[in-house]
Amino acid sequence: MALRSRRRRATTALLPVVLTGALALAACSSGGSSATQGQSSAGKTLVIDTSFDLKTADPGRTYEPTGLVVDKATYDTLLTFEGADVTKPVPSLAESYEMSSDGKELTLKLRKDATFADGTPVTADDVLFSLTRVRDMKGTPSFLLDGVEVAKTDDSTITLTSKAPNPALPYILPNPALGILNSKVAKENGATENADDKAEQYLNSASAGSGPYTLESFNVSSQVVLKKNDKYWGAKKPVYDKVVIRNVESATQKLNVQRGDSQVALNLSGDQVAGMGGGLQVKRTTSAYVFFLLANQDPGVSKITSNPKFVEALRKGVDYTGLLELAGEGSTQAAGIIPSMFLGALPADQATQRDVEGAKAALKESGVANPTVKLEYPSELTVNGLSFQPLAERIQANLKEIGITVELTPAPVTTALDNYRNGKEELGLWYWGPDFPDPSNYLSFLPGKLVGLRAGWKAGADKELEAAGEKAAASVTDEDRKQAYTDVQTKLNASGPFIPLIQPGQNIVTAGSVTGLEYHPVWTINVADLGAK
Amino acid sequence: MRRRLTGGPAGGRTGGRTGGLTRRLPEAWRQPLAIVGGVVAFAWIVIALAAPVLAPHDPLAQELPRLAPPGPGHWFGTDQLGRDILSRVLYGARVSIPLTLLLVVLSVLIGGLLGACAGYFGRWVDETIMRLADLVFAFPTIILAMVVAAALGASLGNAVIAVLIVAWPAYARVTRGLVLGIREREFVLSGRLLGFSAWRSLRVDVLPNVTGPVLVLATLDIGTALLLLSGLSFLGLGAKPPSPEWGAMVASGVEVFDSWWVATFPGLAILTVVLAFNFLGDTLRDALDPRTARAIKERAI
Repeated sequence: MALRSRRRRATTALLPVVLTGALALAACSSGGSSATQGQSSAGKTLVIDTSFDLKTADPGRTYEPTGLVVDKATYDTLLTFEGADVTKPVPSLAESYEMSSDGKELTLKLRKDATFADGTPVTADDVLFSLTRVRDMKGTPSFLLDGVEVAKTDDSTITLTSKAPNPALPYILPNPALGILNSKVAKENGATENADDKAEQYLNSASAGSGPYTLESFNVSSQVVLKKNDKYWGAKKPVYDKVVIRNVESATQKLNVQRGDSQVALNLSGDQVAGMGGGLQVKRTTSAYVFFLLANQDPGVSKITSNPKFVEALRKGVDYTGLLELAGEGSTQAAGIIPSMFLGALPADQATQRDVEGAKAALKESGVANPTVKLEYPSELTVNGLSFQPLAERIQANLKEIGITVELTPAPVTTALDNYRNGKEELGLWYWGPDFPDPSNYLSFLPGKLVGLRAGWKAGADKELEAAGEKAAASVTDEDRKQAYTDVQTKLNASGPFIPLIQPGQNIVTAGSVTGLEYHPVWTINVADLGAK
Repeated sequence: MRRRLTGGPAGGRTGGRTGGLTRRLPEAWRQPLAIVGGVVAFAWIVIALAAPVLAPHDPLAQELPRLAPPGPGHWFGTDQLGRDILSRVLYGARVSIPLTLLLVVLSVLIGGLLGACAGYFGRWVDETIMRLADLVFAFPTIILAMVVAAALGASLGNAVIAVLIVAWPAYARVTRGLVLGIREREFVLSGRLLGFSAWRSLRVDVLPNVTGPVLVLATLDIGTALLLLSGLSFLGLGAKPPSPEWGAMVASGVEVFDSWWVATFPGLAILTVVLAFNFLGDTLRDALDPRTARAIKERAI
């Protein structure tokens, strides 16, 4: 009796479960079909899937990767880069530029035929307003123009003056955060040249730029829709009528692009793209992110890692090829702290090689017996689908072979960042993404500078290296800069507390119909470059 | 002096149909689920003890090809660092099972003792302990455990403490209820009148009458405790890498979703242990509950 009644209860209990399951399935399938329908009726639509890192579409405030993708498509900058080449800035809204011989004054001649999406011409006043706004609003990208005076010489000439030599300025100007706003429209909607600016809300609903696309709708957490700018002034007209950028996590990105739900997937890891096929194109490029290991030089934090011989043991003990294997195809070993595609990068043949015997010898010389050190890293952060955990575990195994016990202490990003920024980590595994594609950005790795201090490396700790850094900062011509930065990195590799590890690959998967895709270290992809077959 | 209220294993040895070993087992233990649960749980305990002998590889050695699917040489496949998943799952039993058992034993001791005190002494002792328990009950279990684990710092030891903090009130509440029902009984009162101390009275008169239900709860709770512990490790608040903890292994498998074997096998390990102990707990309950005695008789093998 008891048994029978129990069974009946089980079936009745199952019914709602089955019903909900069926409903959920129906909901899924209908959602999928409506998406494909929308695609066919709207003509040429491009769907891009990416994991959003997005706060705003206001160029004066954005500095997140997804925000830069959006702003690159909706705003033009004075200078830009051709394709993926970041070693030479080329004209965009400015038709030419000239750097003075002391590296302090940059003169830009503006084009006369450029117009905003509403048809009004781009003037020197718009440029003056936009750049001053970014600098004085104190938004995230303000530091790009710190100490730069913007002036209008005549209706088509802009001069940018810095107190110290600033040869990096032409490499900074292409940043989409320095996009030129239509100052009249922006001012009408609350834009000012100081911290009182209230235009963010307007700029999140519509764009006020001259770019090949305009903003149709903007949602920080789900999707951004771009519409073609029919009046685009440039020679290369936008191809797609509509571009939808959706917030999708990487496992789903793969599924979507495989079944044709999207045409571009931006954040797939090396392992995820390994089994791709079926008419999809996989673009594997080395990214500009550099993973590095830092060994704290402050004896107050660690007596072990501040020992220079111990750092040498670390440098020789890490199995770089083993780490590359984890990062997948498209990744390369970082020879120096400056990424391989930038001016002044160390050639690949100067990269450190693993030397187990040398590492053991260095460890012996250091006089530290059976060292145990803590390695901190952010546990949930991923860079191009690559997470820190496997890298850390591999480093742990590598160093065990030479007699160093590494204790892994993963922490949530916010906690780990706190320790890192305050220079409290004994060993740290981090990455550096460039703020702008210029080697001067990497001078922060020197003693007493931003990242140097995070490794407990105070000013005056390495006089020779600091002098080389000052020399590099002051050199102006490309040839001199190249020489100076190579020199800095060679010295840094010999005696610094940083061990450059790898540059992971950026794997972008596109449908067979999409052409012209290039990975760019600053704005990931330029939507306007994408064509259709 | 032993006075049990509930009978021993229901049914005794009467209903056996076959001879030999099975007849020596009480009927409640001759249920299919009980046998499955018992065998699986026993197997896992053997694995935990003999992992170094059984495992084909060093669970930490990164020497095999990465993300190789299950096949000869690595029957459960390999993970993203080239470690053998079979060996890691086997060694994982040494991490998870002893900790889970320890956790449940500690919860029973702490929760049981506090609950017994609350029920036996009443008044402010009762109020204090039970309000404290209510406080813990007010929070969702996993969330509170996460908060405690995060505050203490990520490590398996701290995860055990965190789960302990959320697990004891269940025992306290059950024990208190049982003790409340018994403390006014004649045999307890007469014991007190004979001059037993409170401690002796609790131990000799009360304890034997409350162990059954608490034991059932504890066995059923082994599964929950394992799930909570693995859950904390899954979230990065428990086991430290590269320790082969099942929850942490599932978490690393989520990152490589295409390679299904990385997350599946540790997941199955958790599933089988939880199911096995739940079956055992069910059996124990049936065996100790006279109301289900007849149903048991019908199903016994």
